[in-house]
Amino acid sequence: MRSSNTMNFLMGIYILVFFTYLFGPLIIMSFTAFNSAEFPAITPWECFSFRWFNEGKIAYDGQHLAGLFTDWRLHDGLISSLIIGAGVVCLSVPIGMAAAIVLTQVKSQLRDIYYSISIMPVLFPGVIIGISTVVLWDRIAGLGGGGFISDVGRNGIFLTILAQTCFISTYCFLIFVARLQRFDQTQEEAALDLGATQTQVFFKILIPYLAPAIASAAVIAFLASFENYNTTVFSILSDQTLTTVIASKVRLGISPALSALALTIIALTVIAAVTYEVLRRRQERKYIESQEEFVKEKAASSRVNKEYKARLKIPKGIVALILLVIIGSYVATQVVKNDLYGNSCIEAADIIKKSKFLDQLQTLESNQLSDEDLQGGSLGGNQDYGDIFGDPTLFQDFGGFD
Amino acid sequence: MKSLFFTQPFFQKNGKSVALFFLVAIVFWFIFLVIIPQLYMLDLSFRANIPPLERGGPKDFYTLEHYRHFVFGSKTSADAYNFVDLGVFGRTIIVSIFVTIANLAFCYPIAFYIAKIATPSTARLLIVSLIIPFWINELLRSFALRILFANEGVINNVLTGIGILDQGILFITYDVGLYTGLIYAYILLMMFPLYNAIESLDVNQIEAAKDLGSSTFRTHWRVVIPHAKPGIVSGCTMVFMLTVGALATPVVLSSPNTLWFPQLIYQWFNLNDNWSRGSAYSIILLIVSVVFVLTMMRIFKVRIGEIIR
Amino acid sequence: MSAGVELKDVSVTFGSFFAAKNVNVKIEGGEFFSFLGPSGCGKTTLLRAISGFQDPSEGQVLIDNKDMLGIGPNKRPTSLIFQNLALFPLMTVAENIAFSLEVRGVSKPERMKRAGELLELIALEGQGDKKVHQLSGGQKQRVAIARALAVEPKVLLLDEPLSALDLKLRQRMRTELREIQKRVNITFIYITHDQGEALTMSDRIAVMNEGELEQIGQCDDVYNNPLTPFVATFVGENNPLFGKIKDLSGDEAKIETSDGVFISSIDKSTNLNVGDEAISFVRPESLFMVKDGNDYKNKLSVKIENIEFEGNVKNFYASLYSGSKIKFSVANAIDTSEIEASSQIELCFDTSKSIILPKGALATE
Repeated sequence: MRSSNTMNFLMGIYILVFFTYLFGPLIIMSFTAFNSAEFPAITPWECFSFRWFNEGKIAYDGQHLAGLFTDWRLHDGLISSLIIGAGVVCLSVPIGMAAAIVLTQVKSQLRDIYYSISIMPVLFPGVIIGISTVVLWDRIAGLGGGGFISDVGRNGIFLTILAQTCFISTYCFLIFVARLQRFDQTQEEAALDLGATQTQVFFKILIPYLAPAIASAAVIAFLASFENYNTTVFSILSDQTLTTVIASKVRLGISPALSALALTIIALTVIAAVTYEVLRRRQERKYIESQEEFVKEKAASSRVNKEYKARLKIPKGIVALILLVIIGSYVATQVVKNDLYGNSCIEAADIIKKSKFLDQLQTLESNQLSDEDLQGGSLGGNQDYGDIFGDPTLFQDFGGFD
Repeated sequence: MKSLFFTQPFFQKNGKSVALFFLVAIVFWFIFLVIIPQLYMLDLSFRANIPPLERGGPKDFYTLEHYRHFVFGSKTSADAYNFVDLGVFGRTIIVSIFVTIANLAFCYPIAFYIAKIATPSTARLLIVSLIIPFWINELLRSFALRILFANEGVINNVLTGIGILDQGILFITYDVGLYTGLIYAYILLMMFPLYNAIESLDVNQIEAAKDLGSSTFRTHWRVVIPHAKPGIVSGCTMVFMLTVGALATPVVLSSPNTLWFPQLIYQWFNLNDNWSRGSAYSIILLIVSVVFVLTMMRIFKVRIGEIIR
Repeated sequence: MSAGVELKDVSVTFGSFFAAKNVNVKIEGGEFFSFLGPSGCGKTTLLRAISGFQDPSEGQVLIDNKDMLGIGPNKRPTSLIFQNLALFPLMTVAENIAFSLEVRGVSKPERMKRAGELLELIALEGQGDKKVHQLSGGQKQRVAIARALAVEPKVLLLDEPLSALDLKLRQRMRTELREIQKRVNITFIYITHDQGEALTMSDRIAVMNEGELEQIGQCDDVYNNPLTPFVATFVGENNPLFGKIKDLSGDEAKIETSDGVFISSIDKSTNLNVGDEAISFVRPESLFMVKDGNDYKNKLSVKIENIEFEGNVKNFYASLYSGSKIKFSVANAIDTSEIEASSQIELCFDTSKSIILPKGALATE
């Protein structure tokens, strides 16, 4: 028993380390969003500020560092990402569904081949799907001469929808296949026997059965599209999506505005996850209650009691929440007390930095290569920066803006 | 075609309009989105790199030039082989293999814990916690690591601040950041196949093994791992494929001196405007992926349906 | 309202496997007809051929004297009740029942009215808004019946619908099904492997084995006068006594077995001759104990091996002189307390209660 205790202890430590690895970077990044310094960092902590969510700042050397709220490129990118996401959902969900339903009808000898073709796209590296779509449509646009086809073939958003649909359809396909495996085919036969046409069977039996899968496929498809970079960066051509904007910003030098963006996404994610979990539990409880009438007679009553007990655990979460609020408010009061928040703090910090600015400028100018590449660049990501890989030395100066 | 492909007459089974929708959707996907673009890219990779206007002209011919370039380098170079590109290629594959192995090693204990030891409510909490970080864009996750590992990043600042180091360590330059980031990037795709596979193992089997006097290590080696084999293969395949084809993480985290193979493709394609060579390099990457999957299937005797579900 | 169903030389093959072979049967309108056979005997295949899910490889299916070739299941005047019932879990009870009307474009109020009537028929008034999973097993059963009846089919096909129920409920549902059939007065074609179900409910039954019809007839007729060894042993229990025909006279025959010579009844259509190998079948309830068996033509001396108390009857398992086993049962009302394991007793049976059939395959449990 002793050895199993030490095992459990080691396991606990390992789990702690693992989740620190998962969450640590994200948590630290979240904190950097509130540091008013230009470079996302915890130390040195300048001032507590929401500026990276709002207006950003004009730096002491005159560069405009856009904040989350005022960065029009992020907004444009977001809009294209939303359009593309909607397009991908509209295409890949029906495709995935059709392919999954047909899988159940393909002869068994052909099923493996059919399945292999269906899942092939997720085995292709994303860059390849992007490239192949672009080269093909460039050719089609070229052959089409002027006019509509050529416009369409060189439209980044259109190409991105097609390229992403190629592999996201497979995700949808897999979701539908999983759901269809549990489908009772006699339902279809029963409906037919009761006089429904084949089309009615599809709409009245199959579609309602698949509804949950349709919903989750749509969510997954949208998220996959929204997050995608590897394929999109090729197929988007001269347009920008949220991810390509983020990428070009990151390459330019990391800005706390990105931390602010990440924190926003994390917050949305956590809210979504918690909502989902709460809804799921509520539904489960409902289901249990509806089944209780039947269960009562059977001997499982002891099990029901156990589940009630499990539910009593919830207050633990509330305790943690209260603790968090107390710590949070303590930190906040300390921040205000020590004048780490507000304009006065930021101004003070700027004055100190301006005095150091001359030295910094000299360092920058002495670095010829870097200067060339930054030509005309308004830092903070207000310019297209497609060729960052071309210059391997650029990253050497990484983090030198502060 | 009805009896050739399908168990029942296709149009009769689905009704005309629905059957037509199925056919159109599948043909559009298979033919126009999957097969034709890849074939066209393959074709392009064997063609000389010429401006669009000269297509079909005398300069438009088939050539192995791009593949030759990958192996032997440019004709004007003094080296016998293209050490730069081959180096990038080899490094990408080797690092990807290590990343895959590291992922497996990191995930196995956690997956086993969640699947077999944790109480249901703890398990659910852990699973939700696992998923949350992966709803966040890969770029932003890499960015978070970049904040940590930058030369004046959090780690260096803390270490120098405490006084452990005089000068920051160049994490990015030595690609520590990249490797950490690559392991971080796709760890969930190892975790879930593993978890699902271990979860389906009957606890009684583990207890029976222990009861028969098997040590913890031996129980895992002889009972749990063989049972989880399809999950392990599936996780390894997914992680390797994604790592080898990764672009977002290297963009953010790779050191200035080294490139990841997809970055090389990106260079040829977007910066040097040599689409044919970009295509050729893509084909090489594709071959690596296909060979890897086939090898995994052959070695571990699993079907493709078990790898991806 | 009801319609006859006729199968003419129907064969269904899957590759080289015969699921049904040359089946000929004529089911009258309004009849309760059962196909009885062990699992895998092809009875479900026949049902699917009648309902239209399976085209026969050869032969014709006639419903109401019309050839059904090329007519899909949704166009046939039949309704099928599936083994697993196949109720639609996402619909309410009323929606389930009214589904056939919905797909025919009947307006909603009318549909609900009809669903209400049917709910009354199956004694589930006012439960139309429940979801299927809120019903008990027997209620689901009745909903499936109501759903099938909603279209007013001419033929109702039932594919072992009671097999998932527990014993008590199953017995109650038998009576209920029979009553419903009388009330709606349409043809019921019932499929089962349970001979008790078939015998209690049906007007006529057809016994099937390995894709072929063994015997068609009224229940008591099939039970009392089986035509093949398979029917003799599948429908109810039977003790086979193997031997050779020694003498034939009218509808009686002498058969010589290793446990003695017996006189049993015989049907002329069996075409047996003296010297042929044959089996005499005696049912467990037709064997009776006697103190002194000299008055009887057919007697057996046996050694009791095992006694089983079943409730209404007591079953005795005994071995004959030759070593073959025999089972007989005695009503509980008769006192048999003095008989114990290993006691030696004499059994007799009447000529009219035993039947001689040609040698052939028996039903295996």
